[in-house]
Amino acid sequence: MTRVRPGGLALGAALLVALVALSAWHATQGTTQLGAAELLAWLGGDQGNASVIVESRLPRIAAAIVVGLALGAAGYAMQTLTGNPLASPDTLAVNGGAGAAIGIAALLGVSLPGLGGAGLAFAGGLAAALAVVAIGRGRGSTTQMVLVGTALALALQSVTTVAIILAEEENAGLFAWAVGRLSQNGIGTVAQLLPVVLVGIAVLLLLARRLDVLALGEEAATTLGVGVGRLRLGTLVASVALAAAAVAIAGPIGFVGLAAPIVVRLLVARIPGAARHSTAIPLAALAGAVLVVGADVLLRAVLGGTGSLDVPTGVVTSLVGAVCIVVLARTVAGAAETESMSVLGARTLSRRGWPPIAVAALVLVALTVGAVLLGDRMLLLGDVANWLAGRAGDAVRVTLDTRTPRVAAAVLAGVALALSGALVQAVARNALADPYLLGVAGGAGLGAVGVITLVPVAVGWLVAAGALAGGALAGALVLALVGWRRLGSLRLVLTGIALSAAAAALTSLLIVVTDPWNRGKAIVWLAGSTYGRGFEDVLPVATAIVVALVALVWMHRDLDLAQLDEATPRLLGVRLSAVQVVALALSVALASTAVAAIGVVAFVGLVAPHAARAIVGARHRVLLPLAALLGGTLTLLADTLGRTLIAPAQLPAGVMTALVGIPYFIWLVLQAGRAR
Amino acid sequence: MSQRTPLSRSLLAGAAVLTALTLAACGTTESAAETTPAEPEASAVTVTDARGEAVEIPAGVEDVVALEWVAVEHLQTVGIEPVGVADVAGYEDWAGVGAPLEGEPTDVGTRTEPSIDAIAGLAPDLIVAVAGRDDAAYADLEAIAPVLVLQGADASAPLETMLDDLRLVGEATGGLEAAESAIADFEAHVAEVAAEVEEAGLAGTSLAHMDGYETGGQVEIRPYADGALLPAVFEEAGFVNGWTGEGDPQYGLGATDVEGLTALGDDTHIIYMTVGERDVFRDQLASNEIWTGLPSVQAGNVHRLPDGIWLFGGVDSMAAYLDAIVASLAPTP
Repeated sequence: MTRVRPGGLALGAALLVALVALSAWHATQGTTQLGAAELLAWLGGDQGNASVIVESRLPRIAAAIVVGLALGAAGYAMQTLTGNPLASPDTLAVNGGAGAAIGIAALLGVSLPGLGGAGLAFAGGLAAALAVVAIGRGRGSTTQMVLVGTALALALQSVTTVAIILAEEENAGLFAWAVGRLSQNGIGTVAQLLPVVLVGIAVLLLLARRLDVLALGEEAATTLGVGVGRLRLGTLVASVALAAAAVAIAGPIGFVGLAAPIVVRLLVARIPGAARHSTAIPLAALAGAVLVVGADVLLRAVLGGTGSLDVPTGVVTSLVGAVCIVVLARTVAGAAETESMSVLGARTLSRRGWPPIAVAALVLVALTVGAVLLGDRMLLLGDVANWLAGRAGDAVRVTLDTRTPRVAAAVLAGVALALSGALVQAVARNALADPYLLGVAGGAGLGAVGVITLVPVAVGWLVAAGALAGGALAGALVLALVGWRRLGSLRLVLTGIALSAAAAALTSLLIVVTDPWNRGKAIVWLAGSTYGRGFEDVLPVATAIVVALVALVWMHRDLDLAQLDEATPRLLGVRLSAVQVVALALSVALASTAVAAIGVVAFVGLVAPHAARAIVGARHRVLLPLAALLGGTLTLLADTLGRTLIAPAQLPAGVMTALVGIPYFIWLVLQAGRAR
Repeated sequence: MSQRTPLSRSLLAGAAVLTALTLAACGTTESAAETTPAEPEASAVTVTDARGEAVEIPAGVEDVVALEWVAVEHLQTVGIEPVGVADVAGYEDWAGVGAPLEGEPTDVGTRTEPSIDAIAGLAPDLIVAVAGRDDAAYADLEAIAPVLVLQGADASAPLETMLDDLRLVGEATGGLEAAESAIADFEAHVAEVAAEVEEAGLAGTSLAHMDGYETGGQVEIRPYADGALLPAVFEEAGFVNGWTGEGDPQYGLGATDVEGLTALGDDTHIIYMTVGERDVFRDQLASNEIWTGLPSVQAGNVHRLPDGIWLFGGVDSMAAYLDAIVASLAPTP
C-alpha cells in the first residue's frame, strides 16, 4: 500500500473544496435567469425547472469536471511517459485528429449511423494519437514522438481549416468548436464517455507504482525489472483514451492537459511523498477539473450567460493556463531540462555544405518561375515576357500584377520565418522552439489584428508596425519573465508557449467580438494567407531579412558556440547573453515582419531549420543559408499548390505549409532517430 | 564509390528536367495586347457605394461578377445574368430554390478568397461585392473592373438596406427601373400575403426563426433577432418576432442554447431552414427534454421550410420565404 502523506492529502482536499464551490457557482449560471433559489427549490423537490437543470446546467458542470479530470490525468501521464514536460493531449495530435474527423465528415456530408458527432471526435482523436505512436514508436528518443505529434497536430488542424473554407455553411459551428466549449445537449455525451474516463484513470492508478520507477529513467526501470515496453503501451493507451474522451465531450479545450500537470508537478515537488504517481495523478486530475470549471465560471460571470456563448471556454482556459505557466515557469530551476536538440544533426545526410545549398537555391529559383506561371490561370513564359515589357493583355496583366506580390510574400516570409526559427533554436537549445511556439508570431498577429481593427484600411508599414510592436512586446515579455541572465531552455519555451496560447486566444476573441462574420480575416490571422497581398505589404519583411543577413555574417560563429551549452561559450570568451539577446531581437524582427506579410504561419520556423540541420549539420555558416532557402521553398510551394490544386477555389498558404511540410518533416525526424 | 557521382547525376537530371520544363513553358496564352484605347466614358454613371466611395461605372455593363450570393440575386432581379459567381455549387444548395440561378456563370472560387485570375479572365465590366468580405482584394479587383460594394446588412434598418442595395445595383447597371418595379412587385406581394394572413386569422402570430448547428455533438442555436432581415420581412406580413434577445449590429443574429429557448412564448412557432439531411431540430434535439418540453414543440409548432431559400437574399428569396411560412402555417388538411 502506498501511504498518502498529509501534504498530498491537504492539497487534494483544498482542490476538492475549490471544485465543489466553483461547481455550485457554475450551476447558477446560464442563458436563463434560473439561479440559486430555483436550484435549492429543485433540490427540495420542486420539479418546475427540472428540465433546464437536468438537461442543461448539470450536463455542463458534468462536462467541465469530466473533461478537466481526464485532461489533467492524461497530461500528467503523458509527461512522465515521454519524459518531456511539453507532452500533452495537444502535442500528441489527439485534439487535431478530433477536429479533422468532424470537419471532413461535414465536408463530405457523411454521418456515421449510431455514432454522433462526439463519437466521430473520439475516433478521430484516437486514430491520430495512434498514428503518432505508430510512427514514433521504438525509435529511441521520446522527444521525437512529441515532434511527430506536434507536426501531425498542425497538419490535422490545417485539414480542419480546409473543411471550414470549403464548406462554410455546413461547418458554421466548427470554428467555435475548435477552440473548445462546454455546451452540452443533455447528459448523453458525458454519460457515454464517463466510463472511458473512469477506466482510463483507474488504469493509470494501477500503473502508478511502475510509473514512479519509469520516472527515474528507462535504464533504472529495466534494471528494477519493470517491463518498460508494456508499461509504456498501457500508459499511452489509457492517457490517449482519456484525452480523446475529453475532446469528444467539449472540443479541444486548450492548455488544461499541459497546465494542470505542470502546476501539480511543481507543487508536489515540495511536498514529501506527494510526487508518487498514485498521489500526483489524482491531484493533476482535480487540478484540471478546477481549471476547466473555474474558467467557465469566470467566463460566464464576466460576460453573462448569453454574452459568453460566442466566446468558447477554451479561450479562457488558454488565458488562465497561460498565466499559471508563466508564473510557475519562473520557479522551475532547470530541474527538468528538455532534451538537447543535438538529437537532430548528430549525423548529417550530406557531408559537405555547398552542394545542398546550391541545389536548394536552384530549386527555389525554378519553383519561383513555376509559381509565377501556375495558378488558377496557367501562364507561359511568353506571357511573363510580355508583362515585363508592358505589352500584356488585361487578363494576363492583372493576373501577374496580383500573383507576383503573392510569390514574393511567400518566399520572403518563408525565408524570414526559417531564419527566425534557426536563431531561436540556437539560443533556446530546444528542438521544439520556433517563433510560433515562443509567442512572437502570436504577439505579432495580435498586434496586426489590433491595428487592422482600429484602422480599417491599414496596409503595409502600418500593419507591419503593429505586428512588430506585438511581436517585440511578446518577445520582451518572454525575456522579462524568464530573466535576462537565465535563458534556461525549459523556462524560455514554457513561457513562450504560454504567451503564444494567450495571444492566439486574444486574437480569436478580438475577431469574434469585432467582426464575427469575416472568415477571411480569421483565416489570415489564425492560419496565414498571401491572398490580396501587394508589394507594399512585403517591403518590411524584405528590410528585416537584409538587416538580419548583415548581422548574421558577423555573428554566425558565436551562434555555433551558443547552441552547445551554457559553459562552453563562456570558457571560450563569448559573451553569451549578448549573443542571445541580439539573436532573439533579430528573430523577433524577422518573425513579426513575416507575420505582417502573410499572417500567422505555424510550421515553417520549426521545420526549415530542422531540415537544414539534418542535411548539413549545425554549423550556422551553412545551416542558416540552407534553412532560409528551404523555408522560402516550403512556403512558396505551399502557396502555389494552394492557389492551383482546387482552382478557382484556393487554400491559404498557412494551411498548405503544414500539409506539404509534414510528411517530409516526419521522415526527417525518423531518419535522424535511426542514425543514432 | 565516392559520393559525388549520384549527386552530380541527380544534378544533371535536374538540370535536364528544368530545361525541358522551361522549353515547354515558352510561348504565350494570349496575344500581346494592342493597347486598348481609352474608351470615351461620356455616358458613365457614378454611384456611391457602401464604402462611401464614388464608383464610376461605364454605361451599358453586361459582364458582371458577383462575389456574394445576395449580389447574384440583385443582379438577376435587374435583368443581368452574372458571368461569374463565387461558389456556384453552394448557391445552388443554399439559395437556388428561392432565386434560381440563371444562365451558366463561371465559378470564381470561394466567397472567402475568390480567384483574381478567374475574375480577370472573364474581363468583366463590373464586380459586385458585399461589405465585410474580400476587403483585402479590393485593390486587386479594382485593377480589373470597377468594384461596387453593397452594404449587405445593417441591423438598424434591415429591409431598407436590402432594398437600397437592390436600387444601388440597378443604378449602377442601368436597371434602376427594373429594380423599382421589382420592389413594387415585392411590396405588392407582401401586401397580398398580409391580406391572406389576416384572412386566415394568423395575423399577430409569433414566429421565431433560428438556425441550428451541430458540431461534435454540441448544439448551437442562432435566433434571428430584431434587426435581422427575416423578422423585418415577416413583420411586414402581419407576424411578430417571437425572439426578444439581442442580435449583432450587422446581421441581427443572436446566439443562444437550448436552455435559452425556454424564453420563447408559449404560442410561438419555431421556423428554420437547413439543407439536406442535417437537421438539428429533428435529430439532435429529439431526445432533449428541454426541447421536447417547450410549449411550441409540444403543440407541434415547429416548421422546417423548404431547402434553398437564401435567408440573407433579395426580393425573390424573401417573397419565397414568406410563401413558405404561410404554406407551413396553413392547417394541414
